[in-house]
Amino acid sequence: MGRVQLRAVLRRVAAGVVVLWVAATAAYLAVLAAPGDTVDTLIGDGADTPQIRAAIIAEWGLDRPALLQYLDYLWRLAHGDLGRSYLLQRPVAEVIGEQLAPTLILSLAAATLGVLLALIIAAVTAGDRRPWLRRLSSGTELLLVSTPPFLIGLVLLSVLSFRLGLFPVAGDAGPRALVLPAVTLALPIAGLLAQVLRDGVDRALDEPFVLTARARGLREGVVLARHALRHALLPAVTLAGWLFGTLLGGAVIIEQVFGRPGLGQVTLTAVTGKDMPVVLAVVTLSAAVYVVVNTAADLVSLLVDPRLRRS
Amino acid sequence: MPARRTSALTAIVVPILLLAGCSTATSTAPAEAAGEPRSGGTLTWAIETEPITLNPHQYAQAKARLLVWNSFESLLTYDEQGRLVPWLATGWQAGADGLAYTVTLRDGVRFTDGTPLDADAVKANFDKLREEGYAPGVAAVQLRNLKAVEVVDPRTVRLVLTAPDVLILDFLASPQGALISPRSLREATNLKAGGLDVVGTGPFILDRYLPGQELHYKRNPDYDWAPPTASHTGPAHLDGITYRFLKESAVRVGALTSGQVQLVEGVPATDVPLIDGHPQLRLIRELNSGSAFSYYFNVSRAPFDDLRVRQAFREAVDVPTLLTAVYQDTATRAWSVISPASPFYDKRLEGSYGGDAAKANNLLDAAGWTQRDADGYRTKDGKRLTVRLIQAAPFVRDRRDVLAQAVQAAVKQSAGIDLKVSLVDQGTAVKAFDTNEYEVFENSRADTDAGAALNLLLHSAGGINRTRVHDARVDELLEQGQATADPAARADIYAQLQQVVVAEQALVLPLYAPADQIAASNTVGGVRFEPTAGVPASAYDLWIGQ
Repeated sequence: MGRVQLRAVLRRVAAGVVVLWVAATAAYLAVLAAPGDTVDTLIGDGADTPQIRAAIIAEWGLDRPALLQYLDYLWRLAHGDLGRSYLLQRPVAEVIGEQLAPTLILSLAAATLGVLLALIIAAVTAGDRRPWLRRLSSGTELLLVSTPPFLIGLVLLSVLSFRLGLFPVAGDAGPRALVLPAVTLALPIAGLLAQVLRDGVDRALDEPFVLTARARGLREGVVLARHALRHALLPAVTLAGWLFGTLLGGAVIIEQVFGRPGLGQVTLTAVTGKDMPVVLAVVTLSAAVYVVVNTAADLVSLLVDPRLRRS
Repeated sequence: MPARRTSALTAIVVPILLLAGCSTATSTAPAEAAGEPRSGGTLTWAIETEPITLNPHQYAQAKARLLVWNSFESLLTYDEQGRLVPWLATGWQAGADGLAYTVTLRDGVRFTDGTPLDADAVKANFDKLREEGYAPGVAAVQLRNLKAVEVVDPRTVRLVLTAPDVLILDFLASPQGALISPRSLREATNLKAGGLDVVGTGPFILDRYLPGQELHYKRNPDYDWAPPTASHTGPAHLDGITYRFLKESAVRVGALTSGQVQLVEGVPATDVPLIDGHPQLRLIRELNSGSAFSYYFNVSRAPFDDLRVRQAFREAVDVPTLLTAVYQDTATRAWSVISPASPFYDKRLEGSYGGDAAKANNLLDAAGWTQRDADGYRTKDGKRLTVRLIQAAPFVRDRRDVLAQAVQAAVKQSAGIDLKVSLVDQGTAVKAFDTNEYEVFENSRADTDAGAALNLLLHSAGGINRTRVHDARVDELLEQGQATADPAARADIYAQLQQVVVAEQALVLPLYAPADQIAASNTVGGVRFEPTAGVPASAYDLWIGQ
């Protein structure tokens, strides 16, 4: 039994490493294929002379063949050396190190809030107990899912910060500054998750085991929480990967709107500036988190669904 | 596609904010807060751009200029009339042949790490600037005529040149020419990025940098060498100042109206009525120096290799109408490639061209673009009169994308010209420029000495000569302008140049003079712009009233 488990873990780790390699390579190729070259973007709209070009090329070793540069990147990546940012002239590890925490805090707060909201909404509106509330809720969810996050953010800012002065507009000074960005990011997540969850609960409520539970005299709340919701969780858990992508993508915009530090800003600048070392580091890091999140989701599925454990 | 998102966002949010403000008053608030300057207190200023680097030698963003002068200073600076005046220097003397400049230094100046400012420190800065791989742009352009820097005595340095070059003085007044402590040059952990351990002689000391969020400066208590252009002497009034990075203009203005910050820069035209109508806020505005925002025509390819087509394009655009449509009444029309704020601006160009659709059509007929296709565009030999404008998204500001659409509609309607506008990333734009796949290039430069901008834009060997003009007369005038010390003679040379480039050859369509805006709470005094540069000044003169 132990050996089987160990082998499963090893297989997972190996698959993870392959995913990381593919992600880093894809990012490298994408940046390489994007128009323009690094020297051009480093020069920007400033003076462009052969002398300046030569100096930049020499500084970053850009005259080496692309394959060699790629292998060099990989070699250093494997040794934990993320290199130096072309644009910022600083070690990438330092840049990412100082920006990681704000993004993680924002993402975790938004994810927690989004999932909590979705659970509450699904529990309250599932079934046919309150049809008017259900209609209102699903309409609102659709609105939230289809509204761009920056618009939600700006509306929240205009009302709650600029008009009422309840929350500060910018910075990560204290938990109060976290509220608006986290809510902005959480609302679309809550919208979609609530729909998936309610759908699952609805289906579960039609199952014979719910009838059995009711027949045993359990209260409707207990039936919902212990039986129906648990069933509905499974499809929702598989959305973890999607959730993670939404968080990262949303963070880019939210950080810009709210003037928050974070990886989103760094990534945006790096991609538009063809800052290869930063792009590669962020992609590899994201892929690593993705692998961890998906593995965690699989484990949670095992816990939630006994059928998977048996097979 | 961040730029697209941003513009969509502004379009949506502006009405929201206008509703919030809901005022139509247009009276101009007093330029200065009531009361006398007093010492103490801290302010928060929301700025648009987070600097890529905090090392002034690496400076490349006009929007970061107001930060540089808080903690760094130069040997010279410009006064309100555009004349150079001493700052950390006490004076300078040009050699008779224009091949050497002797600069004497002010006594008693110390970097904030305690190192005295002397001739060795100045030389250390120049040596560093010319070190390979440190600041290639500066070494190749501003310092290209610099042969050596000699220490004459502790208070005197001599700059020896290979060719007469008055722009070296402009360099001494520029952010890249600001002086960094020799100790920082030797020991800073990340010299090119700058930071807390890269220090200068300025009235403030950088004591906190949270990337992506804010910069904080505290007062330098020992400061006693303010430039003659400042409105007081001695240490700064403020105890400290925080600059917060807020990229979205709607968010900056909202933060100001709700009192979360006391100053903002970069106020879009659509928000001007909101600030003007607010009893506790005021807006001040100043034109930048350097080159005007212009469309440059690529003369190396058809159709703009034909002077008549260039003239026709200019006549087809009624600039004032477009500026009013896009910027309401907040933009200043430009008539020359040089900003009207520059002492070299040639006033004679005003009213000399533009806005005559009939003339545009006659010119195009004469140039052979006589047919029209089904879409109403002019054609010649079956080819449509199409020109491509490439906009690099990172440099699109001031709603230049919207202005381009307005120009596009105007030239189509009045002359049947097909202007194709592409808003692309920096890499794609550079590729188009390198491979000569464009007809129109847009640009403005905020150089304090317009000559520096013109060298890059119009000289046949210029770093951003996107008109691709190779004209011996233009080159000669530019070289004369760079080698002539007498300001009146220089102005004359640049006037001739403007006549050639703008009037005779129609290489450019000047559109508007870039300006900076500051919106401030009425409690803040000493809000001003940097003389000549026309960009927001440092925090040195700022104070908080009662």
